[in-house]
Amino acid sequence: MNKKVTKIFLEILRYTIIVFGAFWMILPFFWLFSASLMTPQELLSDTPRWLPERPQWGNYLQVLKRVPIFTYYKNSVIVATSVTVLVILTSSMAGFAFAKLRFRGRRILFSFVLSTMMFPVFIFLIPVYYLMKLFGWLNSYLSLIVPFAVSGYGIFLLRQFVMTIPDELLDSARLDGAKEFRIYSTIILPLIKPALATLAILTFIGQWNSFLWPLIVTSNAQKLITLPVGISRLSLAFSTTETQHLILTALVYQVVPMVILFLYLQRYYVKGFVLSGFSNL
Amino acid sequence: MACKLFSSKRKSLERNTGAGYLFLAPALLFYSLFFIYPVIFSFIVSTKRWNMLVPLSRARNVGFSEYSYLLKDEMFLGVLTNTLIYALLTVSLTITIALILAVLINGAKLSVLWRFIYFAPVVTPQVAIGTIWGYLYRPNNGLLNSILRLFGMKPVYWLTDPNVALFSIIATAVWAGIGGSMLIITAGLKNIPQDYYDAAKIDGAGPFRQFFYITVPLLSPTLLFLTATGFIGAWQVFDLPFTMGRNAPARSVMTVSWYVYETAFQSLRMGRASAGAFLLFCIIFIFTLLILWIFKRGGIKGYE
Repeated sequence: MNKKVTKIFLEILRYTIIVFGAFWMILPFFWLFSASLMTPQELLSDTPRWLPERPQWGNYLQVLKRVPIFTYYKNSVIVATSVTVLVILTSSMAGFAFAKLRFRGRRILFSFVLSTMMFPVFIFLIPVYYLMKLFGWLNSYLSLIVPFAVSGYGIFLLRQFVMTIPDELLDSARLDGAKEFRIYSTIILPLIKPALATLAILTFIGQWNSFLWPLIVTSNAQKLITLPVGISRLSLAFSTTETQHLILTALVYQVVPMVILFLYLQRYYVKGFVLSGFSNL
Repeated sequence: MACKLFSSKRKSLERNTGAGYLFLAPALLFYSLFFIYPVIFSFIVSTKRWNMLVPLSRARNVGFSEYSYLLKDEMFLGVLTNTLIYALLTVSLTITIALILAVLINGAKLSVLWRFIYFAPVVTPQVAIGTIWGYLYRPNNGLLNSILRLFGMKPVYWLTDPNVALFSIIATAVWAGIGGSMLIITAGLKNIPQDYYDAAKIDGAGPFRQFFYITVPLLSPTLLFLTATGFIGAWQVFDLPFTMGRNAPARSVMTVSWYVYETAFQSLRMGRASAGAFLLFCIIFIFTLLILWIFKRGGIKGYE
């Protein structure tokens, strides 16, 4: 009997913690949405409100008139998509080479690729900016795309996947006279599709949220401003008290669609992680 | 037959060399241009006084004076301390909380829904998170202080008190990071055979002992992964402090990335910025090796 009481108590404790945590996770999002419909007076009043008296749906129209949100969207989509395609391509090629091809220097090169992941991004800011300047790319998407075309993490991830493909499969194709490129495109790529999906999503999200580099590059190229940089500039665009509440409305535009899309794709995260073998190194 | 297989293997061994380099060509080209060249270039810049407006060859050579300047500069040491505190607290708190929640949610009712909720901040741009929390943290009309008032407590100056601001930002970072770590820990949990828990139950072990004697030890590779990658990410933190800490006094929340950004692209002191970047890199490098070594002594292998 006593044991049963403890068990019930533990279950109550368990769900209390889960729900309490979930409340804190939702709260900022809930408040963002609620505040996006407030009047400036409500937002700035000394007694903070949880809900607007009367929802100001007009806020959403006002934001569209004042901020080129769709340009930000377009830029973010172009950059994130291009980087994702390039990373998928370069990572799968290199991953295939490291996992299945034998050549001199393979081990050293692979350790090199792994070690690149340890280098912090701020070492590269100055030299890569200088490089972009030399190439004359500072006013084009290239400066936002090309420096991210290869990912050490992507190469590592896909190498782990390709390793799980049995050698016999490739050898029998080789005996049939298939060249390495055909093996790559007709055997390897179709078999690692789940991994490609995972890597694509990870890369896309990373680029979608990337801030520091676009901030530096777009400081002289307004037309290239991506979403996160656009967000950070909202406080400049809406600095007066009559417009300050629109910052939050604009944030909803920028945050919500992607959160919904990415939450829907959540399972690929788990899948990629389990298959990559990280969980049993 | 065996002989034939053997010879075909040898043949493929030779044939692969060209193909291997061909498949690696894009990556190698990229790394030489965007990795090796920048690292060397950055190091050379760190020994010069350069503003990027003149060719590097015309910049004055100052040797290692920027390094010795930084190591004596109170501001840079403060920046370094901030980054260290941020990394240590964010990584340890995020992983601990994520571990507890992942275990609680695993097998709970509505577990998919809970994971959904906890995961939402992971896909939200950090800049947006920083902005939202900036509002919640407002001293007079922020939601947090109004909750405190509800319990009769004094308002806290979350982002403007220099002793508090860094910890407010850390709290937000933990809030934003739990979902990602949770997901990875959940994947690790699913790899632990249920038999272990069944056996433990037969032996009379309660949930707490199961947690400490089965879950934690068997999860340690996952925890190593999270710790190592967590630190590498945390050392470089920029977005949250930069968006939330602009009103914090006396650079009490400035991190190394922010320092490098400002020194390089606002003050145009490329040499000093590069030297700062290299100094932190050395710390990161030693620290990462240390973590791998600690875990190795605990019986866990790294990435080899």
